Amino acid sequence: MLVDFNFRVILEYLPLFLTGLRSTFFIAIVSIALALITGIIACSCRISGIKFIKYPAIAYIEIVRSTPLLVQIYFLYFGLPTLGLKIPEIQTGILALMLNSGAYMAEIIRAGINSVDEGQIEAGISSGLNYVQRMRLIILPQALGVTIPPLLGQNIVLVKDSALLSLISVMELTRCGQTMTSERFMPTEAFLTVAFFYMCIYFCLKALADWSQRKLIFREAY
Amino acid sequence: MIEFKNVNKWFDKLHVLNDINLKIPKGEVLVICGPSGSGKSTLIRCINRLEKIQQGQIIVNDTPVHDKSTNLTKLRAEIGFVFQQFHLYPHMTVLQNVMLAPVNVKKIAKTKAEKIALEKLEQVGLTEKSGAYPAQLSGGQQQRVAIARGLVMSPEIMLFDEPTSALDPEMIGEVLDVMVNLVSEGMTMCVVTHEMGFAKKVADRVLFMDEGKIVETGTPGEFFDNPQTDRASEFISKILTH
Repeated sequence: MLVDFNFRVILEYLPLFLTGLRSTFFIAIVSIALALITGIIACSCRISGIKFIKYPAIAYIEIVRSTPLLVQIYFLYFGLPTLGLKIPEIQTGILALMLNSGAYMAEIIRAGINSVDEGQIEAGISSGLNYVQRMRLIILPQALGVTIPPLLGQNIVLVKDSALLSLISVMELTRCGQTMTSERFMPTEAFLTVAFFYMCIYFCLKALADWSQRKLIFREAY
Repeated sequence: MIEFKNVNKWFDKLHVLNDINLKIPKGEVLVICGPSGSGKSTLIRCINRLEKIQQGQIIVNDTPVHDKSTNLTKLRAEIGFVFQQFHLYPHMTVLQNVMLAPVNVKKIAKTKAEKIALEKLEQVGLTEKSGAYPAQLSGGQQQRVAIARGLVMSPEIMLFDEPTSALDPEMIGEVLDVMVNLVSEGMTMCVVTHEMGFAKKVADRVLFMDEGKIVETGTPGEFFDNPQTDRASEFISKILTH
């Protein structure tokens, strides 16, 4: 099978793929950072006792989780201009990924917080620590350990989801594959190359995940 | 020092505290016993408002505990609480566990807090474990750290919720010894326990609860040797013959 492969064309299109890789990388990093901030804010609102901020957070999380990402992307892509907001496709794409991933991250963080034993909270209360102190000193350090692996899993999902931005003509990796396919009609070569670059990003993120897990999680010594 | 006035509490329909009236003077050691589900844990958890009450009043040092205007931080700093399951913070060393409240609640400087914390660890006999993590300690050692964590705030009252029930039999003694030492220092203590040896040795008064009511109170001698109610004598014969 490999003998039928045209590596020369891949080489020829390499500059394009590298632009696509850079674009995907940029989209991923910015979206992950923004999604994390969105997730933390949405989670804080979600666990708040104040109904006025709790219910909007629930609505946001449920709407995002109950609709397909592609629909959300199209909704923003076609919907924002009708509201008079004309922003470049790449920013629309980042906004969609941020809102989508943010909702999932909010639920991951909430699960981490809920996983901390009730007794820990009671011990903090009995010592006279207030809510913020209990969160900062007792709950979050323990929640962090269980939150990081699923959070990084969500980031990997986000990177792969960014392929959908090709459908709103953002020039990222997948879109480069489509370009090469339409110009040379070599879809196998094109998408194998695309897949290879996604794998590179995946293994970079995974290495980061393993490193952070070793660094950030407190280890209970046994 | 602690006073319950017509206190009632329900968990949904379960009447868990039924018209409790109780006075605990300063320096008293009160042992609370009774079958499981009788409301004894709930009773002491109401004293520092880990649980809310629906009716009545609890007054600690002239402060109505369940009043909206009460400064809970100040109140809780005066009351040490020891849990059955220790609830030490697993991500902190023993010393950090003990120092946490003085530094963050009382805003004592770290060096000074460390000194006080080490004094309390010495009191429970665990100075050499100050750098260890809770998971490295035995149950008895963990519970002694938990007691030091309560003592470090210099409380006037210590509450113990079945402090030895989660321990191996051979570790019960070391925890009870620490508690007996506290009694000799004149600490006001409420202890939910079935350790009859401890009750007979140091308790000023034993309180027997069943189905949310205080069924009987008396000195340990009166209560164990000559219980007034059938329910209490049934309970005592069960725990003595098990």
